[in-house]
Amino acid sequence: MIIRIQFWSYFKDLTGCAEATEELPLGATIDQLLQRLHVRFPKLVAMKNSTLIAVGVEYQNRSHVLREGDTVSLFPPVQGG
Amino acid sequence: MRRELTLSTAPIHEATLVAARKMSAGMGAAVYFTGVVRGTEESQTIAAIDYETFREMAEHQFHKLFDEMERRWPTIESARLVHRLGVVRVNEPSLWLEIIAPHRPEAFAAAQWLIDEMKRTVPIWKRPQP
Repeated sequence: MIIRIQFWSYFKDLTGCAEATEELPLGATIDQLLQRLHVRFPKLVAMKNSTLIAVGVEYQNRSHVLREGDTVSLFPPVQGG
Repeated sequence: MRRELTLSTAPIHEATLVAARKMSAGMGAAVYFTGVVRGTEESQTIAAIDYETFREMAEHQFHKLFDEMERRWPTIESARLVHRLGVVRVNEPSLWLEIIAPHRPEAFAAAQWLIDEMKRTVPIWKRPQP
C-alpha cells in the first residue's frame, strides 16, 4: 500500500522535503513506517523520541495500523501562542 | 457554546475584536488574554517570530478543545480565539482569546486551560527571526 508522508516545521529542513511516499505491506504500523523513514532520512533519528505523529488530523501512537491512502504527518513538539 | 476560531496572517486588532463582543444578560464575566511576541527567544534577541501551521489539523484540534471546554465548563457562553500566522514582529500580538461566562472563576479557569492545551496539542510552530 502507498502511504503519503508530510513533514512540518523544521522536519522539512531535516528531510529536505515537505512530502514523501512509502510503499508498505498491508497491515504495516506507524512504527514500521518510521523505521523506513529513519533509513531514508537519517537526520530524523535524533528527533525520534520527541516526534509527534498524526494520521489525517488525529494524533496516533506508533502501534497504529496504517491503511491504503493514509496521510501521515510527522512534526516536532508544537509551540503555539 | 458559541465559538469563533480565526487562524490568519492578518494583524490582530484588539479594539475591533473587543468592540464585537456579544454577551447575553446572564453573563457577568469577559476574560481576555493577549499573547505578544517577546524580544528574546532562548536568550537570543529576535525581531519577529514566523508562525507555521498544519491548518486542517489545527482547526480540528482547536474544535476538540472547544468541545472539551464546553464539557468541563457548561455555563460558558462563548469562546473566541485568534492565532496569527506568518511573520509577527516583536511587541505585536500573536494570540487573542475571549471567554464569556456567568462568573469569573470559570472564565479564568477555561482561558488558562485552553491556552495550556493549545500549546500541547495544536500543530502550530514558531521560527524566531533575527
